[in-house]
Amino acid sequence: MAGNDSQVSRRSFLKAAGTATVAATATGSVAGCLGGGGGGDGGSTLRYGRGSHSSTLDPQNTTSGEVAKVTNQAYETLIGFQPGEAALTESLATDWTMDGSDVTLQLREGVTFHDGSEFTADDFIASYRRFVDEDYEYYFEDASAYGPFTLGNWVDSVSKDGDYTLNITLTQTYAPFLRNLAMFVSVVISQDAIEGDTNLDDEMVGTGPFELSELDDANNRIQLTAFDDYWGDAPNVDEVLFLTRGQNSTRAQALVEEEMEIIDGLDPDTIQTVEDSDTASAETTQGINIGYMSFNMSRVEAFRDRRVRKAVSYAIDTQSIVENIYSGIATQADQPIPPALFGHNDDLSPYPHDPEQAQSLLEEAGYGDGFSFELTTFQNPRGYNPAPLPTAETIRSNLDEVGIDVTIDDRQFSDYLTYTSEGRHDASLAGWYTDNADPDNFCYVLLHPQCEVPDGQDWVSWDTEGFNTSNRSAWANPDYMSLVEEAQATTSQSERASLYSEAAQIAHDEAPWVYLDYAEEVRGVSNRVSNYTISAIGGPHLDLVELE
Amino acid sequence: MVSKRFVAKRLLLLVPVLFGVATVVFAILHLSPGDPAVAIAGNRASQAFVEQVRADLGLNDPLWQQYVRFLGDVATFNFGESYQIQRGTPVSRILADRLPITIELAVLGQLAGLLFGLPLGILSAVKQDTWTDHLTRIGALSGISIPIYWSGPLLILLFAQFLGVLPTSGRIGSAHFIDAVTGFILVDTLLAGDVPAFRSAFRHLLLPVVVLGIYQMALISRMMRSSMIEVIRQDYMRTARAKGQGEKITTMKHGLRNAFIPVITIIGIQFGALLGGAVLTETVFEINGIGTLLVSAINQSDYPVVQATVLVFAVLYTLVNLLVDVTYSVLDPRIEQ
Repeated sequence: MAGNDSQVSRRSFLKAAGTATVAATATGSVAGCLGGGGGGDGGSTLRYGRGSHSSTLDPQNTTSGEVAKVTNQAYETLIGFQPGEAALTESLATDWTMDGSDVTLQLREGVTFHDGSEFTADDFIASYRRFVDEDYEYYFEDASAYGPFTLGNWVDSVSKDGDYTLNITLTQTYAPFLRNLAMFVSVVISQDAIEGDTNLDDEMVGTGPFELSELDDANNRIQLTAFDDYWGDAPNVDEVLFLTRGQNSTRAQALVEEEMEIIDGLDPDTIQTVEDSDTASAETTQGINIGYMSFNMSRVEAFRDRRVRKAVSYAIDTQSIVENIYSGIATQADQPIPPALFGHNDDLSPYPHDPEQAQSLLEEAGYGDGFSFELTTFQNPRGYNPAPLPTAETIRSNLDEVGIDVTIDDRQFSDYLTYTSEGRHDASLAGWYTDNADPDNFCYVLLHPQCEVPDGQDWVSWDTEGFNTSNRSAWANPDYMSLVEEAQATTSQSERASLYSEAAQIAHDEAPWVYLDYAEEVRGVSNRVSNYTISAIGGPHLDLVELE
Repeated sequence: MVSKRFVAKRLLLLVPVLFGVATVVFAILHLSPGDPAVAIAGNRASQAFVEQVRADLGLNDPLWQQYVRFLGDVATFNFGESYQIQRGTPVSRILADRLPITIELAVLGQLAGLLFGLPLGILSAVKQDTWTDHLTRIGALSGISIPIYWSGPLLILLFAQFLGVLPTSGRIGSAHFIDAVTGFILVDTLLAGDVPAFRSAFRHLLLPVVVLGIYQMALISRMMRSSMIEVIRQDYMRTARAKGQGEKITTMKHGLRNAFIPVITIIGIQFGALLGGAVLTETVFEINGIGTLLVSAINQSDYPVVQATVLVFAVLYTLVNLLVDVTYSVLDPRIEQ
């Protein structure tokens, strides 16, 4: 019997295998009948191509700009950024005043959320509390670091006066606060959604011009459709599709072949691909970012001497890095404040490549025979540094000419972040994208120690209590710190500009960083697209885009 | 028939295998550089915030406690939530979305390998030492030697960018949205009765399946050839011919069936390798299966996703091998003993 059973089983198996082969053959023959043609036909669908998919749709659960590209279509903030500019404009608030530490905002009436509820002051209060108030029943445990960074550290209380007036009291006069209200994390979410059972990682319940239609994580795409009850002008396209192509070349090819209308994340090679096509072009605007090399003064004694820092700045050929490695999609930097921001000091210029001057300064400082240090860098390209390893190699080569021995320590990004935030680097390549288009976001966040500084010293030890580890140089110049603190407490923009300009002069002369570059924002744009403005902050404003 | 005891014994052996894999994955992740708390918090976070994240994740606990907790979670199929890839989403849900994508690719790659590998192997054997044989063997050798990360981009360049007849990446055109019923895109498009979507999915999968199938085809044809040559020389084949049976029937009826047994073994074992190959194929063609999931999770220090994905790979590999053993024992009952 056993033998018979086996016989039957083998036969069944072979029969099944045969069926599978026939099925495969049939499928194969179908292939022969299939014609060409790519994805969809477009129509009034705007297809936006990018390098990464959104890890969440909850703007309070991320620090990622990739997420913001999508959430900015569905959510709105009280104050907005004008398309293509760093200036503030009305959004859900129609008017606002800032008097010392008191901020009052008049809210827009007649605004409807995607869930049909009406927007009032309570929605902002619920959104704010969800983000930063641990006593709130619906506080979001996984709120991102932007919670304290943007609102929590500065807001003392939020209250309403009727449904359409908000009163916010700050812990101190903090001029950049209005800009923090325009950041993508300061969105207004429907109170009903917050206090209901809506999963905001997968759903968006805002007031923006587009509402979520489909979140397709399996194929890395997100479909948005125009929101019929939007309070402002209706979007010019019916639908926006965010598509992900990780490789720049694939994304550029998709644009050229008219499978996408706008793409971002272009490198010099793919810019050339786009420029060579007759279906699309590469458009640029000045970015609000900086790439630099930090000197860790807490760790390397030589870097505590200003002459050594200046010598290194003279020795590194930043012009060559920008022109040859970044292929012209960046400009040389000369101060911590990017040119697109108020407070940028126009009188400053980049350190020229001058090895003789560098050698002379090193000798003056007692390092004529050179010294050695380790340069930590991330491995993968970032906007402000499209080629970190070649940059590090150029720095090593340049410094070798003046007797400084550099060892390159390249790390995967999260490892790099851990290593440098713990102050274990001698020097590191670094960079920053603006959060709120305010000079404070560079000057205070990246170069102020935010802790006690010993008298007569212009650096701090990494383990000082309360030290701001984003200051990767551990620089603590008292004159600079006073100016930046004064600018925070000054509400007049012209006065602030003057203070920052002065602070930038000190940061240039003291050289706590080697200023490398300000990268441009580059987008590939189809010839079918009009009325698209690249925004270095906020946006993209896809509701304004028109398709032929 | 396969005895239940045989299957149960093999299933029980899964436990120590998975325990070993879980331990190694845990150790590698926790000994490798990079702090997930820093990665999660981002570079806007204060030290206090990073510390809070670390505490919330239990990363300050002694390693052995984290290990015990991890084993306990694995034993209850609780893989936790993603730190980064899909923040806050249960890893089991992410895997449920991604696994069918990889399985579909691997199965289609295997089918493509069988479809072309078997006939080529048989042809090569019956035409031994002719030009047909030599050409087939050269083709097979090339197929085995060419790595996916080379053949993939090459085919993309040729068919997608140069000839422009096939898409470069993804699983389906951007205009088609199909509800995931089975997770297999070809099946789901058919279930939805959406022929244009099926065509789009088919065209998208063609290149990745060919790339995966090339290696399988080469391997199967080589194995089939050597197995067939051995069978052709057997006495029973001579007897069949002596009876006056035609060469085709002798080869297909008596030869193929017996030559197929060792090929089945290889197919099964190679299915595991096919899953590994899917990591590369998915990366090259930007298909969102568990291969790309694993690569992204490693890059972003998403511990729960890395751990669960590696375990899934191990389970799949082990189960496929078990299936091979079972199949083999069906074909040749002596194996079970």
